[in-house]
Amino acid sequence: MQAYTRLISFFRSLFRKEKLDRDLDEELASYLEMLTEERVGAGMSRDQARREARIELGGVEQVKEGVRERRLGATLDTLLHDIRYAFRALRRNAGFAFVAILILAIGIGANTALFSNIHSVLLRGIPFEEPDRLVAIGKTINERPAGWVSRVDYYDIREASRSFEELAALADFTVQNTVTGGPRPELIQAHYVTWNFFATVGVNAIVGRRFLPEDETDRTPTVLISYGYWQSRLGGSPNAVGSTITLDGSALTVVGVMPPNTRFLVDADVWRLVDREGPFDRVRDSHSHILVGRLKPGVTLEAAQSELDGIASALEEQYPTTNEGKGLILTDLQGFMVEDVRLSLMLLMATTVLVLLIACGNVAGLLLARGERRQSEIAMRTALGASRRRLVRQLMTESVILTIAAGLLGILGAFLLQDFLLRLLPTGEIGIEPAAINGWALVFALLLSIATGLLIGVMPSLRSTALHPAQQLRSGRHATEGVRSSRLRSGLVVLQVALSVTLLIGSGLLIRSLSQLSTVELGFDPDNLLTGQIQIQSDDYPTLEERTQFFATLLDEVEALPGVVSATLINKLPVLSPAQDWGIWPAENPPQSSQGAFFAMSRWVPAGYFETMGIPLLAGRDISATDVIDAPRVVVLSEATARALFGDSDPIGRIVGIGFMEGSFEVVGVVTDARVNNLRRGPDAAMYMSSYQMGVTRLQIAVRTAGDPMLLVGPIDHLLQQKDPNVLFARPASMASILDSRLSDFRIVILSLTLFAAVALLLTAIGLYGVLAYDVSQRANEFGIRQAMGATSADVLKLVFQKGLVLAGIGTLAGLVTAYPGTLLIRQLLDALDPAASLRNAADRHGELSGRDRLPRAGRRDGLYPSRMASHASESG
Amino acid sequence: MAAGKADLMRGTLDMLILKTLSLQPLHGLGVSRRIDQITDGVFQVKPGSLFPALHRLEQEGWVKGKWGESENNRRAKYYELTAAGRRRLGAEKRNWAQVALAITRVLEAT
Repeated sequence: MQAYTRLISFFRSLFRKEKLDRDLDEELASYLEMLTEERVGAGMSRDQARREARIELGGVEQVKEGVRERRLGATLDTLLHDIRYAFRALRRNAGFAFVAILILAIGIGANTALFSNIHSVLLRGIPFEEPDRLVAIGKTINERPAGWVSRVDYYDIREASRSFEELAALADFTVQNTVTGGPRPELIQAHYVTWNFFATVGVNAIVGRRFLPEDETDRTPTVLISYGYWQSRLGGSPNAVGSTITLDGSALTVVGVMPPNTRFLVDADVWRLVDREGPFDRVRDSHSHILVGRLKPGVTLEAAQSELDGIASALEEQYPTTNEGKGLILTDLQGFMVEDVRLSLMLLMATTVLVLLIACGNVAGLLLARGERRQSEIAMRTALGASRRRLVRQLMTESVILTIAAGLLGILGAFLLQDFLLRLLPTGEIGIEPAAINGWALVFALLLSIATGLLIGVMPSLRSTALHPAQQLRSGRHATEGVRSSRLRSGLVVLQVALSVTLLIGSGLLIRSLSQLSTVELGFDPDNLLTGQIQIQSDDYPTLEERTQFFATLLDEVEALPGVVSATLINKLPVLSPAQDWGIWPAENPPQSSQGAFFAMSRWVPAGYFETMGIPLLAGRDISATDVIDAPRVVVLSEATARALFGDSDPIGRIVGIGFMEGSFEVVGVVTDARVNNLRRGPDAAMYMSSYQMGVTRLQIAVRTAGDPMLLVGPIDHLLQQKDPNVLFARPASMASILDSRLSDFRIVILSLTLFAAVALLLTAIGLYGVLAYDVSQRANEFGIRQAMGATSADVLKLVFQKGLVLAGIGTLAGLVTAYPGTLLIRQLLDALDPAASLRNAADRHGELSGRDRLPRAGRRDGLYPSRMASHASESG
Repeated sequence: MAAGKADLMRGTLDMLILKTLSLQPLHGLGVSRRIDQITDGVFQVKPGSLFPALHRLEQEGWVKGKWGESENNRRAKYYELTAAGRRRLGAEKRNWAQVALAITRVLEAT
């Protein structure tokens, strides 16, 4: 009953407002009349009585407003009224509205676009089933995070642990496979996983099935193919499942097609089984596997971690030589996967928030100035019965309408620029679908708009309603600007200057580090250098001699092509292919444990490599064509390796032991250090062995050309096809373009930061101009008087300039101070945002290890394809 | 407020109005004068608080406004208590009695 009555009243006050108001008018009129009569009855004259009655009643309008405000539904009614009024007020001042909306649209639009990314990356999460229970496991060395886990340790962990429903392992990188059987061989990426990986993360095949345990033991090896591979190479035919593909000479049966965008840290065309045919050592100190587990329901991260601690120390006790100091570390998978991107996103988000704050300061300044000009309007409304609360609400409505309009415009802009903006972010890296401006983004933008509106509205509206109406009306037009208001606006400008100085310093830092990167001393000459991958089929060239022979004649024939200066081969070209660092030590002084050795990048090269690449030989000799399989094994060290092993004594002729290789090597030469691994770290310590003594089937070619290197792609391909159509020639690219692409992620972040900083600077300039212009217009009288009293126009100019300079100066100082925490964040980003870092290094970044500290780990891991490379090659052949 | 006149406690105005109207229907001025008279001028209800309160009570359904003739044959809006208003007044009185008793006890505690 009560609710019903209220509902009726609510609707009545909304829709029968006129009648209610009329009633109220009449009621008050009769009240007044009765009061008057009361007084007349007491003997007063009618005029006198009326006057006193009015005084007793107080303001009629105030009473009416009081009644209206108490009505149910009054809030809504007021809101509607305020909105209508705000539109009228803004239309009267369209120029102001336009500028304010535009400024805010930039800020809100940028935040919305970025939010949709943050939402998809950090909030929506990874595209796996029940991601909350998924964890990644890495290892620690002496309590510090240090990359991945050994496969052998994995079996023990899987056996001993009780916390996981499933525990899978997968390689932390893909392996290149050559597909044969088609007209020409093709290079694809194979990702090695344990059979239960897809079961653990809960991804099913869309055609066929995922791996089953029997795939590890059944007679025919099986393979899962990616959706992309299925579509592009197998025509999306359902018959693909059950067919056979030949990878590096082995026939595998396709058992399933995985859904589109299935990827885990790395892109892969096919998934193969680690335990069946993975090219990994079954040794405890080769660490190349990420473990991914699904916790049993109710098991906490802490509980699982403490169980892993127990398992790790048991392993340490059991295998002291390989597991000393080795621990295990558990992270939630989501956190682990977004780790890299989080920092860039945070930086960009911080930037856009700063831009929005600057925009807010800017528009708040405009609103303040406008408030000054509206003093008489506000005073009039106060006199007509509007309470201060009501006026503040009115002014806030105006600013919220401004920001909502700006928000809509910003969303529109973000939507139109979506593709461009999404490309600004390196989110594609981590297997999360690219963000789209979706419903959440719209909600976010709307909330942001409203919050912005309240933020920028509150100060100006409190400020402009603070004056007493009578005083205001009496003075007519305000001759001089209120001191407090002027200070407020100056404060806002100082804030804007400070914020944009912060942004400028930040982007300046990033730009400088980019330019440092692009002019970095590589240690080799990247110009006019063509790179590519070449693989021969091990079946066709079963012996080491045949392989060596093939590559040797290939180089001769390539060098004979017109436009070629020289050509060379290597197992991993600098920058293009990182990692593979092995332990190396003087033969007379072998390390105590596998963690104790010095680690250097191991590379295998033929004679003439250093000359072609432009790496100067410092001492001794180059690898020579006579350093073949039967000859004594030799190695050329880079300076840093030589110094680490032998100090200042002459390294030439010394004997060293290397990684997993049996026997020893004689040091025959020393070359300068070059950036072997990637761009961001300094030059790497390296060792170069003779490729003639390795018998590999896959090498990378580097061709020094006289002109544009890409012109040689056709002739080399043609040459190879003539020579042997089964030879793969893949991914030809100039070294210059590779270097360029390594910097591009980095460049994109910097570009967007710079863009934002420029916008911020522009906004700040507008803000400063606005304050000064308003200041000048307000002080016109004062300037007139000054001039009348003998001031020159130069004096007046000086006054204005002084104000501008003081504001900008204070702002800059404040900006310098606030920039400091910003530079810390940027420094962290520079360390993390390593353009050339492969994803496997993500694990190191995870743990903030210095380059030096991570080497031992990488060494152990990269002990894959070790000494037994030759034997593996024949195995798969 | 002038000396000798007490501030109306927040919320008590509603109760006073309801009580006043429980004796007989009155118009706005009538309510104001009656309260003045009963309290010996301690409470003077100004139109600025009277009318908003009356209209709110009407919206709640506790009083009902009706146009009628005043003593001087003038059109005036008379308010009368509804059944819901009577119940409300009862509730407010009980509440008030409790509050008053409690406050008195506090003040007289030794």
